[in-house]
Amino acid sequence: MQKTAVRLENVYKSYYLANGEEIPVLNGIDLEIKQGEFVAIMGESGCGKTTLLNVIGCLHYLSSGKYYLDGEDISGVKDDFTLAFIRNKKMGFIFQQFNLFSRFSALKNVALPALYAGTIANERQAKAKKLLNEVGLSERINHKPTELSGGQQQRVAIARALINDPEIILADEPTGALDSKSGLEVMNIFTNFRKQGRTVIMVTHTTEVARFADRIIYLRDGRVVDNDYKLKINF
Amino acid sequence: MSFESLLAKKTRTFLSMLGIIIGVATVIAVFAVGQGAQESVNSQFQNLSANSIMVMSNMGRGMTSSSKLKASDALLLKEADHISSVTGAIQGNASVSYGSVDKSYSLIGVDNNFLDISNLQIEKGKGIEEIDVEDKEMVAVIGSTAASDLFAEIDPIGEIISVGGKKVEVVGVLKKLGSRIGMISVDEGIIIPYTSAEKSILGTKGQVMITLTVDNVDNTGLATSSITSILREEHGLKLTQEDDFRIMDAGSMVAAAQESAKTMTALLTAIAAITLLVSGIGIMNVMFVTVAERTKEIGIAKAIGGKQSDVLLQFLLESLILSMVGGFIGMGIGQLAIPIISHFNLLAVTSSWQGPIIGFTFSVLVGIFFGFYPAYKASRLDPVDALRSE
Repeated sequence: MQKTAVRLENVYKSYYLANGEEIPVLNGIDLEIKQGEFVAIMGESGCGKTTLLNVIGCLHYLSSGKYYLDGEDISGVKDDFTLAFIRNKKMGFIFQQFNLFSRFSALKNVALPALYAGTIANERQAKAKKLLNEVGLSERINHKPTELSGGQQQRVAIARALINDPEIILADEPTGALDSKSGLEVMNIFTNFRKQGRTVIMVTHTTEVARFADRIIYLRDGRVVDNDYKLKINF
Repeated sequence: MSFESLLAKKTRTFLSMLGIIIGVATVIAVFAVGQGAQESVNSQFQNLSANSIMVMSNMGRGMTSSSKLKASDALLLKEADHISSVTGAIQGNASVSYGSVDKSYSLIGVDNNFLDISNLQIEKGKGIEEIDVEDKEMVAVIGSTAASDLFAEIDPIGEIISVGGKKVEVVGVLKKLGSRIGMISVDEGIIIPYTSAEKSILGTKGQVMITLTVDNVDNTGLATSSITSILREEHGLKLTQEDDFRIMDAGSMVAAAQESAKTMTALLTAIAAITLLVSGIGIMNVMFVTVAERTKEIGIAKAIGGKQSDVLLQFLLESLILSMVGGFIGMGIGQLAIPIISHFNLLAVTSSWQGPIIGFTFSVLVGIFFGFYPAYKASRLDPVDALRSE
């Protein structure tokens, strides 16, 4: 039986405005994602998809509820060192706008999480080169993000997400800024993650992209309304 | 990483370093000037023994009448208590010419004791003798620099020079001294009998200076009182009138000069400290702007596993690099400035090892101190808020 990678129980998350007003975003989320599963999170704008992804990625503290990562309760973890360690070693983030460091070359961008992990320079360079080669950018390792196309930048971001060999890939609208061809390339890479046994949790509002996932979790008003949402229209 | 970030904004990096550069260069200059002033004081008083007393005419503020002090008052002061020797001198400037050379020199009118009391030695010829003083002879003993300026290769003894338009025979040349006696540079001086100086050249325009030697340095106070009463009586001063002369003993003169050198150093140090403080605030400002500009980067760094300490270190390193590079450049400029200032005789400066070390240490401390708060603020940013910023 597959192990559980992520389990959330009755998770609430609120933001607070400067005047103290509470804005509830997640209102009792319950979900379970198995190891090696490729899950898409869908829902209308403002339903809490990105906040949910940030909670899973340990970028947000929970307001209440329980969060189990690999079966371990990490809901109460607040110290920066542990949270940074989890983000660095267990997760790999991929963003819609790539979020690369514009001053650094593709190689340095990819190697950066390994630097934070304490990997020695030679090793992280070798790893970064190998990953860039795997995403088809071996000829572009010294190019800065501004010298790369959107699709290439996203592939650099994917290589960066993989450098510390994480179990979970978190992607927020990974094809949102890409043309359909580049989007398809990225989705093919994601499909391969599943084969490698990695868990992929992807936020998207595009049904064409969501179709690549094993399962779709549908949110509305900060709650999971369908844990296995079936797309109604087939292409 | 820090170097790349700084190189990405070269102009800003340079401008923020400028304050540190100026600050460190100032610190080095301050120490050089301080050291130079100290050495200059030591050199001025090196020929003055601790039991010397000087009497000069008082031309300070509040004086309603001119001083009656004359070089010949030295003769009276021989009778003062605890005085073992006394010499009177009158000094001023005079135009001196020989052949085609025409230059202004210090003219010192002296009595026959002056050279001995002032520890001046004759290189060639003879000194000023008692008979020269009595007969108001137009003879001169000249300093070594004056001799080489005026005569070059010619033997000066027996030559006639023009001093303030009067013909004077050179009878002696002094050994090179290399330092000053009080305010007089003897090497560039022309020494003649004071009687001749008063009568024919300086008139009443000269500054009178009587140098006395106390038998024991502990008796300086008693000797000073005795000199005061003799001179007041001689000058016919009433009880309500202030002294028309001032008495300075060597110890207090050295102390006063050293004190003023210290005050100057303290003042310049304060200026350097303010410059470094302002440059520190400049660095802080630049670092805040940098943090604001790179908020999104901070968010990304945290999302991919950067710890608060990683972010803190990154920004702290940047401000440290700014201040250290600025410190190095400042050290270079400061060290280069010393020989230039010295070459143009703008100020008495002497290179010191303390200047560069203290200047550089302060620049590093400024970088850490003023870089810490912006770096700390950056490290505490919420990753999601930081990621959302543009």
